[in-house]
Amino acid sequence: MIQPQSYLRVADNTGAREIMCIRVLSGAKQQAAGIGDIIIAVVKDAAPNMLIKKSDVVRAVIVRTRKNVRRKNGTSIRFDENAAVIINKESNPRGTRVFGPVARELRDGNFTKIISLAPEVL
Amino acid sequence: MAIRRPRRYHIYDSLPKLRLEKCWFCSSTCYPGHGVTFVRNDATVFRFCRSKCHKNFKMKRNPRKVKWTKAYRKLAGKDLAEDATFEMERKRNRPEKYDRELVHKAVGALKKVTAIRATREARLHTLRKSAARDAEKAADLRELEQSIHLIKAPGVLAREEEERLRESVEELQQTEAMQE
Repeated sequence: MIQPQSYLRVADNTGAREIMCIRVLSGAKQQAAGIGDIIIAVVKDAAPNMLIKKSDVVRAVIVRTRKNVRRKNGTSIRFDENAAVIINKESNPRGTRVFGPVARELRDGNFTKIISLAPEVL
Repeated sequence: MAIRRPRRYHIYDSLPKLRLEKCWFCSSTCYPGHGVTFVRNDATVFRFCRSKCHKNFKMKRNPRKVKWTKAYRKLAGKDLAEDATFEMERKRNRPEKYDRELVHKAVGALKKVTAIRATREARLHTLRKSAARDAEKAADLRELEQSIHLIKAPGVLAREEEERLRESVEELQQTEAMQE
């Protein structure tokens, strides 16, 4: 349930720590973004001397949400925090590492690179 | 502007989860389509059979201290804790190769094991109940002895005591006379 003004933790090593959603890119009807959706975000907090600076506008894909995701097989999965991975126009991650568990739903959106980088896929 | 991605479903989505996991909180079975799976940031998976268990987890309750959970009942000796019948239902990480004969046997054994467990549980229950009844009786007797003055007046009690003493003295004298 990510919408403009939502803050998300960044789960990669691009240097951004926290981002704020400013646009959800997942269809005109949908207002809230979930796992696997792409958002436009602004960097609110970043580590010094890294790839991404504070107040940069970035694209990111949501990898974890506190709101549970209902799967087709009836199970429902929920995470500890809202987190995203910063990506480029080609949907590839801009960092080289992904931290924390990610949801398997990312495979549906062809984020296989993130899936392979993640330490745990659930 | 808007990117509409068609939702694609994988084989893991369409298949029901065949493994029936145990609820983290109450240890009952999480059936497909029920409950929530919670993944902590260190990738520890907590499964809950229903929102009741999920809520109790969010309240940071310890299942060992909540009376209706299996963990509490086992700890308090209210349910069977260690029994050979639990060996049948166990988490096996290596999948068993399909064998028609084995399946037939296992399904047959299932009923027997369940029946055995039921009788053992019933036995444990009767044992517990009888122990409780004994304890209750002892407590009642103790109370009767300690607060007898509520039923009988102190004067009556003293007289009775005196009488009993006299009787015992007489008995003693009689036995002494017999011995002589």
